Amino acid sequence: MRKHSLYPLLALVAIVAVLFTACGPAATEAPAEPPAEEAEEAPAEEPAEEPTEAPAPTEAPAPTEAPPAERKVATFAWTQEPDSLNPYYTNMWFSSITQQLWSCWAWEYDDQNAPFPKLVTEIPSMENGGVSEDGLVVTMHLRDDIIWSDGTPITSADFVFTHDMVMAESNVVSTQYPHDALESIEAPDDLTVVMTFAEPFAPWQATFWKGILPKHVLEPVFEAEGSIEAAEWNRAPAVGCGPFVFAEWESGSFMRFVKNENYWLGEPNLDEIFFQFVPDDASQTAALVAGDADLGTFPPLSDVPTLQDAGLEIVTQNSGYSEGWYFNFREDTAAPGALDVRVRQAVAMALDREAITQDLLLGLTEPAVTFWDSLPAYVSPDIEPWTYDPEAAGQLLDEAGWTDTDGDGIREDADSNDLVLVHGTTIREIRQDAQAVAQQQLREVGIDLQILSFDSDLYFASYADGSPAALGENDIMEWSDAPYFPDPDTDYWLCSQIPDDENPWGYNYFGCDETLDELFQRQLVTVDAQERTEIFHEISKYMHDQVYWLGMWLDPDYWAVGPRLTGVKFSGVTPFYNIIEWDLQ
Amino acid sequence: MTRYIIRRILQAIPLLFIISLILFLLMRSTGDPLAMMGGRRATRPEDRERLARQLGLDKPLYVQYLYWLIGNDWTKIDMDGDGVAETPGDRRGVVRGEFGTSMVSRGRPVLEMIWERLPNTLILMIPAEVIIILFSLAIGVYSALRQYSFVDHLVTALSFVGYSMPIFFIALVSMYIFAVNFKRWGLPYLPTVGMFDPQVGKTTGQVLLHMVLPILSMSVISIAGYSRYVRSQMLEVIGEDYIRTARAKGLPRRMVITGHALKNAALPLVTIVGLDIPLLLGGAVVTESIFAWPGMGRLFIDHVSRADTPVVMGILMLISVAVVVSQLVTDIVYAWLDPRIRYT
Repeated sequence: MRKHSLYPLLALVAIVAVLFTACGPAATEAPAEPPAEEAEEAPAEEPAEEPTEAPAPTEAPAPTEAPPAERKVATFAWTQEPDSLNPYYTNMWFSSITQQLWSCWAWEYDDQNAPFPKLVTEIPSMENGGVSEDGLVVTMHLRDDIIWSDGTPITSADFVFTHDMVMAESNVVSTQYPHDALESIEAPDDLTVVMTFAEPFAPWQATFWKGILPKHVLEPVFEAEGSIEAAEWNRAPAVGCGPFVFAEWESGSFMRFVKNENYWLGEPNLDEIFFQFVPDDASQTAALVAGDADLGTFPPLSDVPTLQDAGLEIVTQNSGYSEGWYFNFREDTAAPGALDVRVRQAVAMALDREAITQDLLLGLTEPAVTFWDSLPAYVSPDIEPWTYDPEAAGQLLDEAGWTDTDGDGIREDADSNDLVLVHGTTIREIRQDAQAVAQQQLREVGIDLQILSFDSDLYFASYADGSPAALGENDIMEWSDAPYFPDPDTDYWLCSQIPDDENPWGYNYFGCDETLDELFQRQLVTVDAQERTEIFHEISKYMHDQVYWLGMWLDPDYWAVGPRLTGVKFSGVTPFYNIIEWDLQ
Repeated sequence: MTRYIIRRILQAIPLLFIISLILFLLMRSTGDPLAMMGGRRATRPEDRERLARQLGLDKPLYVQYLYWLIGNDWTKIDMDGDGVAETPGDRRGVVRGEFGTSMVSRGRPVLEMIWERLPNTLILMIPAEVIIILFSLAIGVYSALRQYSFVDHLVTALSFVGYSMPIFFIALVSMYIFAVNFKRWGLPYLPTVGMFDPQVGKTTGQVLLHMVLPILSMSVISIAGYSRYVRSQMLEVIGEDYIRTARAKGLPRRMVITGHALKNAALPLVTIVGLDIPLLLGGAVVTESIFAWPGMGRLFIDHVSRADTPVVMGILMLISVAVVVSQLVTDIVYAWLDPRIRYT
């Protein structure tokens, strides 16, 4: 080949590179047909070439009204980009919590995590007749002033449609829970929804109607394509029912929401909100400190002083999660020490959890007592929290027959088996730090805590995929989890969930206690609130005394709130419940 | 040469087929996409069974690969779990230009997702690679020609420092200096994250401004390494007889260096750059994550962590094709640089 013939090739490469610069794909935008407001239409099809703000876009039409002198635009740093905005195609927290901006739930939760009606006139209960005596029928009465952002009324048909879409096999939704508990759903009139369950389903209030699908937008799609899986609305829900309306989603970069001027509860103070995707924690901190973002989530604890020095406020909100030690009491896999309740109790008394919380978590949270600390009504008042008392722990171990006969600092049983417990968790730094401290503290009472850490993908894999926790290779497993908050239900300790070759997807890695299993099964079908509460008192007390779960610390949501934002409150269930009141100073 | 190129292209077809098979098997062996679909709670067994059926994950691996390769619109599948396959498949397969849809961003075509991010990656990586090559050549040649001078020692020291630093360290330090602290000190500052300021829009100026720190971070390490390579190659070549002959014949110094020495010294660098080029398509995972650059690297890491086989396979096959093509281009460039090389 002659050498000069290469120059055209190089020139071609340069031209292609320039073309790529100019011809980036358009962001996913709100379709033009529901023109709820002017800002939604501003970036017509090529946001690559123009500012996204209203003032004087070159090809977009002018706003229908003069823009305010200074638009209130807030930027939230979001460390995970949603996979979908359709509430039934995602289980990502970073997606679902945006719904209080652009979507609507039948009822939402305030900063005390107490429910309040949103789309309904009142939350159904036995007292107001909304729930039948047998708990099988729940009747909801909708407000008569609720409308979608395009002005279409929200009616009971939207609720029935939502249920139908969840249950349609062609839609491949992430989960059909809890809709598969319904025997039927009816809409006797536009403002009434009647749900009938096959059997009593206690968690209905905490699990239903987290996002309603607009029938008038999605039904035509379903009828035309047989599925809403590829519907444009899933990534560009231009028709919503929240204080804001979806405007734009630039993949990998940001999502934009603008004020919904049809919102039935009034206009929000903010004009626009950007969710900028910043996947790295350190970068999020830098963006917050530099003022490039007004809100961040779950900042690293080590960055908290830096953020506070920069004028940000760290706000925590209970969302049901607690970091805890899950004890393995499966007789086929657990060490002898783990099977002995006195050893577990001794462990509880040998750990200085208060010190761990203060030293490792900067005092931003506190030790957890039970799995239901975030739902205190369900915690037995008879529980006396385990206190740090290594002397009492030692005495208990002596009584249990574990003594250090060979003087090596580790206790043995009568057969000279060392008191060894294998502790497993993920490689997250705070957990590894806590492991090291725990190992030291337990050593002081003669327990040899062998610490292991695993990549989370492996650790949280299933029995079928060889998770060490699922296979019972650890005597103590540590992670953060919650009941089905704000409902107290959990199926972690159901005997039916123990994984084996026939049930490789079970997630009860801990053991089968018939007493506990019966209590958990009974609470699920007990719709009387008081009765159910009493069952959970029994559960929490029993689990506390048996030390099946030992709380390390409460694990709230952490928010880094910039100095510009005012009126900010958070809920643990619907974090942005009062977004309409947020403002910029 | 033409026959050689055609032969290489034909050889690539079975090669890519084997690569796709290996990659598919590896992907399906690592991670469980269904486990991630439960979100904060474990995927229920009944949902797992339904999703596996609806997404075709209950089929044997070879059938899944077949559907990925040639599609399933020629057969029917059982979507509703009644044991009767009555729903026609809707996938056309890779050989017909369809890479399927994402399991994570349900229903989104893989090619659409890749096409959204690929230009962003090329916008960042091509200028970075050009800068790396130019600066490496310049610094390497300069150092070689002024061996053991003060500048050479300085460049050597800086190269060792630059090469030793992990990229995330360079990225974060540069971000804190030029974006956070410069702003705090009242100096002109660079943006922290993103490809552009969402409030301003995706203008050329915004993109260029946001490119500075990512490119700087990526370039430092590569320039440090490549410049040392160029330097050592130049030193080796400068001592060759043909260089002495060229000087003795009175050729201008510039022609001796660029026309004779550099051309021969650059041959190994061509190999390295040739291997780099396909990797440009994969983006730079760490850099894109730290600077929130919406490129292929982030797309890959977001989806491989959730075992989204269709998207990951799409990216990997794109890179595989690029590797095959770039190796062919490398061989051609070799022949251009070295007239002794001839292919048949």
